Amino acid sequence: MAAVLGVSAHYHDAAAALVVDGKVVAALHEERLSRVKNDPSLPRMAIDACLTLGGVDAGALDRVVFYENPYRKLERVLVGSLAAFPNGAGFFRRALRQQLGDKLWVLDELAAHLRVDRARVRFVDHHRSHAASALDCAPFDDAVALTIDGVGEAESTAIWAPGDAGPQRVASIAYPHSLGLFYAAITAYLGFRVNEGEYKVMGLAAFGEPRFADDLRDLLQVQPDGSFRLKTSAFDEHLRPDRAYGREVLERLGPARDPSRPWSFVHGRMEGEDQRFADVAASAQRVLEEAVLALARAAHERTGARHLALAGGVALNGCANARVLAEGPFARVFVQPAAGDAGGALGAALLGAREEGDLPRARDFDAALGVAADPARAMAVAQHLGLRAERVSDPEADAAARLATGEIVAWVRGRSEWGPRALGQRSLLARADQVTLRDELNRRIKGREPFRPFAPATSERHAAALFEGAPNDMTPFMTTVCRVTAELPGVTHVDGTARVQTVAQVAQGGALAGLLEALEAHGHRALLNTSLNAAGEPLAARVTDALDFFVRRKPDALYVEDVRITR
Amino acid sequence: MSRRRLLGRLATLRELVAHFVARRKFFFLPLLVVLLLAGVLLLLTGGLSYVAPFVYTLF
Repeated sequence: MAAVLGVSAHYHDAAAALVVDGKVVAALHEERLSRVKNDPSLPRMAIDACLTLGGVDAGALDRVVFYENPYRKLERVLVGSLAAFPNGAGFFRRALRQQLGDKLWVLDELAAHLRVDRARVRFVDHHRSHAASALDCAPFDDAVALTIDGVGEAESTAIWAPGDAGPQRVASIAYPHSLGLFYAAITAYLGFRVNEGEYKVMGLAAFGEPRFADDLRDLLQVQPDGSFRLKTSAFDEHLRPDRAYGREVLERLGPARDPSRPWSFVHGRMEGEDQRFADVAASAQRVLEEAVLALARAAHERTGARHLALAGGVALNGCANARVLAEGPFARVFVQPAAGDAGGALGAALLGAREEGDLPRARDFDAALGVAADPARAMAVAQHLGLRAERVSDPEADAAARLATGEIVAWVRGRSEWGPRALGQRSLLARADQVTLRDELNRRIKGREPFRPFAPATSERHAAALFEGAPNDMTPFMTTVCRVTAELPGVTHVDGTARVQTVAQVAQGGALAGLLEALEAHGHRALLNTSLNAAGEPLAARVTDALDFFVRRKPDALYVEDVRITR
Repeated sequence: MSRRRLLGRLATLRELVAHFVARRKFFFLPLLVVLLLAGVLLLLTGGLSYVAPFVYTLF
C-alpha cells in the first residue's frame, strides 16, 4: 500500500503520474498547465496537480521515480559525442551544457521541489518505464511488450516479457540504430519540427506513392531475425540533432522541403514539388511499418505471447499499429494513450509501486486522469468576459441540436485527457459528414496544414457498422486507424481510413457517450472529434484555457459540463 | 543552498561516480574530477547560478 509519483522530464513532453495502492489516480502533461507545447522542463505544475488530485501530501509519498537513468544517459551522450569528434564538437558543448546544467541533477531537483528525502527519489530504465506503462495498463494477460522510440539511455528498441518484478528484457537494439530517429530525420527533411511533426508525416503519407521505398530500405535494413540496422552515415544525428539527416538522404530523395513555403494543396491533391514530399512521406511510412511488423513477429517468436502491448513514441504511429494488428501474429494489440515519453512517468510510477510491494493493475484504463472541469468557474469567467453563460438542463441534447445544424462546438467534460489525443474530455466537435466543416475547422479554427485529417468518434455499438475492425483495444484511445465503411467524408482520410475513437456507454463513463446518443435522434452515428487547441498550442486542460480558445478561435458554442457559453 | 539540497548534490555526485566505476568507464575520470571540482564550487558559492558560467566556459 504505497503512494508513488512518476516523473518524466528534460527531453520533451514532461509529465507526472501518481499511483496510489497500485491504482493510477492522476496523470498530467506539464504542457497542459504551463501552456508551452511539449514543455520539457521539470514538471513542477503537473507534480503539484497530481498530488492535489490524489489528495496526497508530498511528505506522504513512499517513492518518487524518474523515468530514466540520468547517469547512463550522460554516458551515452559523452561516448557518442567523443566518437564523432571533431565533427561533433558543437553538439558536444551543447549536450554537456544540457546534461550538466539540468539533466544530471534532476533527482536532486525533484527532492528539493517536493521537500522529500533524496533517498526516496530513484530512477528506472527508460524503456522499462515504457514497457511497464504498456503491460500494466493493457486489458489482457499473456502479453509481450515492444518498446520503440528514438533513444532511451542507450537502446532504441526492446522486447519485454511480463514478470512479478515488472517487465523483463528479452532483447534490445542499441542506439544509433533507431526507428524513432529514422522517422525524425524524415520529419525534419519534410520541414516539420522533430518530436512534434511526426504525425503530420503520417497524415501526409496518404497523399503519396512509396516510390522512394527501396532507397529508404537501403538506409533502414530489416534483418532476418526481425531486428533492423540504420545506415548511420546517412543520419548525422550527432552533428545536427535538429535535423538528423545527412548527405546521402539528400542524394537519394532530392532537396529537403523549405518549411516556410506554404503547401501546394489544391482540391484535395498535392501539386508540383510537394507531391515528391508526399511520396517521401509515403515511402518512410511504408518502410517504418515493415520494420515494426518485423519486430512484432520477432517478439512473438521469442516469447510465444498471444497479445502485444506497444509503447514508445513510435507506438503513436496509428497506421503502423493497424498493420501490426491486421498482419501480425497477435490476437490483440494495445497502445496506452500516452505511449511517448510522457507515458514514461506513468510506467515509472507503476514500477515504483511494484517495488513498494503493490501489484499495479489498470486493466480498465481510463485516460481521464487530469484536472477536473469547473463549471462554476467557467460561468464566472465567461460572464466577466461579457459572454452569455447559462446552465442547461440537458447539455447533450442541447449540443446535439447545435451540431446537427452544422455548428462547431467546444466540449469540456470531466477530467482532462492523458495522452496527445482529445478523447471527449477537451474536444472540438462537428458533424462528420461534411467536408466544408472539416475545411473550416482546419483553416479558421485550428489553423493547421490543409492536408491534415480529422478523427471520428462513435459509440462502441455502432463502430463495427462504420469502421472495419472497430472496436478493438486501441480504438478507445485513438492509437490506431480503421478503414471507413460508411459515408463520412468529413473524417475519412484520402486513403479511406480514419483514426477512430470508440466511446464506451454512459454507464462506463465515456465523456462523449451521452452526446453521441443524443445525436442519433438527428440521424448521426459519428462525430468529428478534434483536440481543443489551435496549431502549435497544447491541448486545453483548465476551463480558463477552454475559454481562452473560445474567445480567440470562435467556435459556435462552448459547453463546460452543464454550462453553455455563447456570444 | 540548504543543507538538504547540498546533501542531494553530493548524493548525485556519488551515484555518478558509482555508475562510471560500475561500468568500468575509467577514461571519463578526468571529466568526473572536473565535475567534483564544480561540486566544490557549489559548496563555496552556495548556488548553481554562480557556478554555471565556469562550467560553460570549461566545456
